[in-house]
Amino acid sequence: MAEESFLADDFLRQLMSVGEVDLLVGVPTYNNATTLEQTLYSVEESLCQNFVRERAVILNVDAGSPDETRQLFVRSGERRDAGPGGLTSLRTIHRISCEYAKAPSNGLALHNIVAAVDLLRAKACAVISPTTTNLTPSWVVNLLRPVYRESLDLVAPLYARSRFQGLLVRDLLYPMSRAIFGQRIREIYCEEWGFSGRLASQCLEKDAWREEAVRARPEAWMAITAMGAGLKCGQSFLGPKMAPPTGTDIVEVFRQTVGNFFWCMETNQAQWLNRSNSQPVPTFGPDHELSLDGIPPSQEKIFDLFRSGVSELEPILASILAQDTHAQIKAIALSDRSKFHFAGELWVKILYEFAASYHHTVLNRDHLVQALVPLYRGQLCSFLLEHANASAEAMEEHSELLCQEFERQKPYLVERWQGKH
Amino acid sequence: MKEVIIQGLSQAYSNLVRMFAEFLPRLLVMLVIVIVGLLVAYVLKAILRAVLHVTRLDRLSEEAGASRFLRMAALPSMTELLSRSLFWVTWSGFILIGISVLGVAGLQDQISRLFLLLPAIFVAILILFLGLVTANFLSRAALLAAVNAGYTSPKLLSWSIRFVIWTLAASMALEQVGVARQTVLAAFSIVFGALMLGLAIAFGLGGRELAREFLERNLSDKKKEKYEEPQPL
Repeated sequence: MAEESFLADDFLRQLMSVGEVDLLVGVPTYNNATTLEQTLYSVEESLCQNFVRERAVILNVDAGSPDETRQLFVRSGERRDAGPGGLTSLRTIHRISCEYAKAPSNGLALHNIVAAVDLLRAKACAVISPTTTNLTPSWVVNLLRPVYRESLDLVAPLYARSRFQGLLVRDLLYPMSRAIFGQRIREIYCEEWGFSGRLASQCLEKDAWREEAVRARPEAWMAITAMGAGLKCGQSFLGPKMAPPTGTDIVEVFRQTVGNFFWCMETNQAQWLNRSNSQPVPTFGPDHELSLDGIPPSQEKIFDLFRSGVSELEPILASILAQDTHAQIKAIALSDRSKFHFAGELWVKILYEFAASYHHTVLNRDHLVQALVPLYRGQLCSFLLEHANASAEAMEEHSELLCQEFERQKPYLVERWQGKH
Repeated sequence: MKEVIIQGLSQAYSNLVRMFAEFLPRLLVMLVIVIVGLLVAYVLKAILRAVLHVTRLDRLSEEAGASRFLRMAALPSMTELLSRSLFWVTWSGFILIGISVLGVAGLQDQISRLFLLLPAIFVAILILFLGLVTANFLSRAALLAAVNAGYTSPKLLSWSIRFVIWTLAASMALEQVGVARQTVLAAFSIVFGALMLGLAIAFGLGGRELAREFLERNLSDKKKEKYEEPQPL
């Protein structure tokens, strides 16, 4: 088998000693010694409570953590004699661990998990991130059950969010993936999610694991593969999404998500070029939950960054965008901040022109993705100005209208995509 | 007297005939060399063009921004430019060989010198091209990084990087063809030194306030006021 060449011998021995399983929970780690115990507790409790008769394994794939995360995982497995809270599964919950590299790599970690799912013939797998500090046992069951019981091939998470959180997902990733791939899955870029053994086998056969885009965000690539292959996809509500404690490098986020999405569009074009409209997917729990807490971020700085970006990157934007689109952006960049409005129609047009320019490689692709950042800031500023005091319903309505605009303009994308730049 | 004149004339005539007899085959050989050279140059041009098409050099050149400069200078695509350069370099080489076959006194030394210079000119063109590509790529990367990080004067940074790489490439190319080596070296040292001195003075005197703000922002409690990007995911 192809995967035999990259799995370590010790890891293979551990997998063989486990035999076949029904469920696999993958926990990729790197320096997570402080939160791992709580994560494992939630996973085990969920398995004990909800899958008493199923054969299950918890797999830790570690990137050589200096804080001895892997050793902690092994030790916590050795001292465990009964399930948490006194519950005991009728079957042994196996724990296996491997060190897949000396540096963290999302792609390599998931590749190991997917190979293990395939080798152990697991029917359902959930990937759980130990960085999620508010993980509860219900998260694990909500990801595993739709795959195991409802025969879904992919289960994406749904989170409760504050209104100023996840804005890139709301304004770009969700509406664009929905319009392009035709399925209304809100979160394809996620840290917790579930998939079937069937999807694992299909993805394992593909040659894309070494690609940079897949290495950065393999979960989105697998989700798009599932949508493209017509497999059954769904989403399941988990709970509130906690913001990471440190500041975000927006350029790196764009590289990993938007860059990855454009790459997936390129490699899956046969699946989406002739597809129109979008379909709802099976959803377990509420479709969305938006809280009104959170202070709106400062719009002044965001607007300045947008305005300077449009002015400084003028030749770069001119080579990517259509002439009239570029002219519209320059016009709104000159407007007064208090009256600033970035129309949804213009935003969609910009994104489609960027995607087509990425396809035609009008300039270095990494540079192209970076050139989108100032325009995103403009759209963000407009959103914050218009929704500073809006209700959750109004914000959701805005999001839905944007999604519809993406679907309406899809023929324009196809035209630019297939035409010569 | 008359006989001497006739003898002189016949001697001159026979010399002329002998010279023509010696020159004509050389001229024919030269023409053959030039025609063969033309064919070889065409074949090499076609091979290079095919290889560059396979390696997608035009796409690379487009990505790096070099194609834009070529268009601005009304030059053809990168593949076409390189294959045409190879054609002319090869054919010029054959023409020079042909001329040397003629055996014209005084030309031999000049031709040998020019002949030795041809590969150096080709390498110099390659250095200039790579310099252009690298300068465009790095200056654009710097511009994007500076704009997205919200730095002031990102264009100045971008143009500085472009200028330094251009200067370096131009001096390397001139050094390669051996044009006034000492002058080029001196000129490069002066330009580079002046640039660094200028930057040092600019940052030292003009940027005192900026440096103070930077240090205050990064080392004092004001760091907390740093712009935080709204949570994208």
